[in-house]
Amino acid sequence: MLTGRRALDAAGGSTVTKYVIRRVIQAIPVLFGITIVVYMILLAAPGGPTARFANNPRVTLEDREHFKKAWGLDQPIPVQYCRWIGACNPDVDAKVFGIFPSPAAFIGPNGWPNILPEPISGGTNGVLHGDFGVSVDSGEPVGPRIIRAALPTLILASFALVIWIGIAILIGVYAAVRRYSLFDQVATVFAYVGYAMPTFWLGIMLIFFFSGPGLNILPAGGMTTTRISPPFGSNEYWAYFGHKPFEALVDIGRHLILPVITLVVVNIAGDSRFVRASMLEALSQDYVRTAKAKGLPGRSVTFKHALRNALLPVVTNIGLEIPFLFTGAIVTETIFSWPGIGKLTIDSTRAFDYPTLMGLLLITSVLVVLANLIADVTYAFVDPRIKF
Amino acid sequence: MSDPFLAPNAEPAPEEIELRAAEAGQDYEVQLQSLNQWQLAWRKFRKHRLAIVGLGILVVLVVAAIFGPILSPFVFNDIPKPDKAVYAGRPPSLSHPFGETGGLQRDVLQLVVNGARTSLIIGFSSMAIGVLIGTVVGALAGYLGGFIDNVLMRIVDVMLSLPLLFVILVASQFFGNGNVLLIIIIFGVFSWMGIARLVRSLFLSIREREFVEAAKAVGVRDRRIIFRHILPNAISPIVVSASLIVAGNIIGEAFVSFLGFGVNPIYPTWGNVLSNALTFIPVGNWWWPLFPGLAIIMTVLAVNFIGDGLRDALDPRSRA
Amino acid sequence: MTETIELHVLGAPPSDDILLDVRNLRTTFHVMDGDVPAVDGVSFQLRPGRSIGIVGESGSGKSVTALTIMRLLDIPPAEVGADSEIWFDGKELLRMPMDSMRKLRGNDIAMIFQEPLTSLNPVFTIGDQIAEQVEIHLKVKRKEAWDRAIESLKLVGIPSPERRVKQYPHEMSGGMRQRVMIAMALSCEPKLLIADEPTTALDVTIQAQILELLKTIQDRTDSALMLITHDLGVVAEMVQDVVVMYAGQVVETGTVEQVLLEPRAPYTMGLIESIPTVDKRGGRLSVIKGTVPSPFNLPPACRFEPRCPYAWDLCQKVPPELYQTDKASQFARCHLHTPAGENRRRAALDIHEKAMAVGRDMRGPG
Repeated sequence: MLTGRRALDAAGGSTVTKYVIRRVIQAIPVLFGITIVVYMILLAAPGGPTARFANNPRVTLEDREHFKKAWGLDQPIPVQYCRWIGACNPDVDAKVFGIFPSPAAFIGPNGWPNILPEPISGGTNGVLHGDFGVSVDSGEPVGPRIIRAALPTLILASFALVIWIGIAILIGVYAAVRRYSLFDQVATVFAYVGYAMPTFWLGIMLIFFFSGPGLNILPAGGMTTTRISPPFGSNEYWAYFGHKPFEALVDIGRHLILPVITLVVVNIAGDSRFVRASMLEALSQDYVRTAKAKGLPGRSVTFKHALRNALLPVVTNIGLEIPFLFTGAIVTETIFSWPGIGKLTIDSTRAFDYPTLMGLLLITSVLVVLANLIADVTYAFVDPRIKF
Repeated sequence: MSDPFLAPNAEPAPEEIELRAAEAGQDYEVQLQSLNQWQLAWRKFRKHRLAIVGLGILVVLVVAAIFGPILSPFVFNDIPKPDKAVYAGRPPSLSHPFGETGGLQRDVLQLVVNGARTSLIIGFSSMAIGVLIGTVVGALAGYLGGFIDNVLMRIVDVMLSLPLLFVILVASQFFGNGNVLLIIIIFGVFSWMGIARLVRSLFLSIREREFVEAAKAVGVRDRRIIFRHILPNAISPIVVSASLIVAGNIIGEAFVSFLGFGVNPIYPTWGNVLSNALTFIPVGNWWWPLFPGLAIIMTVLAVNFIGDGLRDALDPRSRA
Repeated sequence: MTETIELHVLGAPPSDDILLDVRNLRTTFHVMDGDVPAVDGVSFQLRPGRSIGIVGESGSGKSVTALTIMRLLDIPPAEVGADSEIWFDGKELLRMPMDSMRKLRGNDIAMIFQEPLTSLNPVFTIGDQIAEQVEIHLKVKRKEAWDRAIESLKLVGIPSPERRVKQYPHEMSGGMRQRVMIAMALSCEPKLLIADEPTTALDVTIQAQILELLKTIQDRTDSALMLITHDLGVVAEMVQDVVVMYAGQVVETGTVEQVLLEPRAPYTMGLIESIPTVDKRGGRLSVIKGTVPSPFNLPPACRFEPRCPYAWDLCQKVPPELYQTDKASQFARCHLHTPAGENRRRAALDIHEKAMAVGRDMRGPG
């Protein structure tokens, strides 16, 4: 496509980079805002992190105070937040008004502001130094725990993304081109019903149908079949994978089918209508009439002239919906016991494991911002009318 | 028809032609049926078959939700005594048209109907809250502009970037498990952003539009401008958004209750009924999740259809 | 359109010196509120290299005529009359398979539209849009098509065409975009160029340039021009023959001198009279009273009758045909030109003369 050339022509890509940098800078205060808000919620909620002990009669008040001190929960919230972020030195206990960290607390062990990288300031704590804390639940460092859970979710989400986008566009375009045909009507019904369906219900019904006592052709959950392979992600698993890659891939594939269907049906339903509407709009434009008047073959008119324009709003829409893929993954992973980030979120929430939750929140927020950014940049890339 | 071309070739009097020239151009009488905006909208809505169907479904659901719990109240601690000690539930039968659940042998129809009340209340109330907040915020931002606008929009950005489900999970978990009012407030607080943006952009664009300038030129005061000129244009997209919000919140509540973070099981909702059904999957109780799920689908479909109908009806450009 | 009812037996093809022969064209739109006879029995001819102007108000059916010739209308809701024929270059267009029609479009018959911004695809360069047409019709390679595109840009007078050819429509001014449209239309050297209100959306100064361009091009390439407009001034400058349309029908045809200087149909007379000239300054503006009838509520016989200052009872009873006037090549759809209307015709022409002279008389001394 010739439009790619345009971006390259534009001063060797520097305007693109400038735009991206500007957006990233704009996103930072938003990210801060998010983390602050949720941190407040987590810690200020009745009971807070000690709520996990609320129903346990054998945990005494002393034990709870001990717990709080050990985890640094006896500090006021702004101080805790500051340390969690990595701007405050956890070894310095200096406060202003008893609540806010005083300037002294911002200085790291080497005398430089704690917020700077470790070689300079000696500060090692906090998100900005890569330390996400330790899980209150399992004692395991949060960072690696999240990464371990990230891969399965990534696999699930990537497959889902490709299938979702591909099928939505195919259905939408075909329905628009063959407007009012049987295909279009069926697609519309499907879209309405699919859109009204809660994804987890679909998941449950699918499990009943395909894995239940009737047909038992697809697995009901998990990522691997315990009979034939070790748990995913473990070292034994990678050994097994190297040993029998084809079998392992098929195994994962079989387990992917139902969760992916569950994840994408709702999105396909909604987006196929959007694509259809966008395509119809494009087909009614003057330039399509011009294309026909030029004697171009029908295929060229539809797929070159109309589709290209129709896809513009679709691209943005999809970009904005990608975060919802991850949200949807939460429930899907729960139903299908898929060991990914979604399941981790549910488990941590149940266990009041706030360090893990904060870590997850940060990751997801970054992803959301990233998705928005990519959507905007891609749109600007493909629509020559947009100037950075 | 006598052949006019053979008619006598009379010389017309000059006055005749003058008279004709003066008379020429009388317009045909055009019949205009003058309806105001709302009558017009109702007419268009009526023509939208799907919307009427949706309205019908919704009425049925609301009636069921109101009268169902009265006829067949759900009491958490009232466990019906089963005929035999059967672990799995029983499929639909005459006395239990939706079947019975496993475990406690509850009547699924009763659960669905009681759940309807809770779920519908949550859906509509949270929408009301969201619309209220959103309209006010959007109007302020759009009309006042400047610094206030900036601040409000940053807040909207933050709220939008918060991964919704995540925060709802966390908030319901930590703020008190299962309180219906709390759920309503939380959903309401997360529903207003779209409307705020919508209202704001409407205010921004309409503020500049010609007819507002015209009104100002004639000397109409600010407040009057807002109410008489801007808001009527805003009603349509707000109403459509509102219907989407209801649908979204009903599904959202089902999500959250399904995961166990929503309404306390003392009050059944479609979501927590589905949650309980999950454990009985291996036993094959398909009716248990089927009917609540269908109820959700019907409700959302109905609301979506109504939303579509409203959108067409309220769009001043669409034809009656 | 390949499924026109085969109850009609085609007439004989026109003689070789006629490029475009429109016979009894009827195009009806079936819409929710009823049927709209947008074009109702329109016929005219065009010789190669000549230019004809189709003049009328909005809603007169002039654009629909052009779109029907190009077969650009969607067949439901549109419907073309079973006995309508359009002959182009010895072939009948309405019954031709769509594939053959597509080969003609852009190649032998080209059309340019009113709004150059929306008529060009915003996401492709203009070079791309011109080249694709050349590639398809002239079956040349990409590179050569591109060169031809640059050539046609030069032809329409766009400066630095090598640079422009890589630009996008939104990067150009309105006038330049219209030039691009013209370049696109001419890139395959069509025999007939249809221009639908080509200057209406442009500034007055640019209008003049574009019209000048069209004339130059026409002289150079010897293609026929069908110019659709509501602007009598444009017609006066550009074309040799005129077809005046009102409410879907042709109400007058003739050469441009005949129709503009000596109109014979009351509608045309009214149009000419209402042109404000410097002469008439200070006096009242003359108008045609009333409004164009709604297509759902057309007058039963002559469609102009309610507004016509010269009508009499015959005009409400019998629909007029296109009668030959006192000049052999000028026709008017008006009963004034039948034997029954002879006296009235003299009176009408007299009144018209007087109205036209008013202006001249108003120039008094000083």
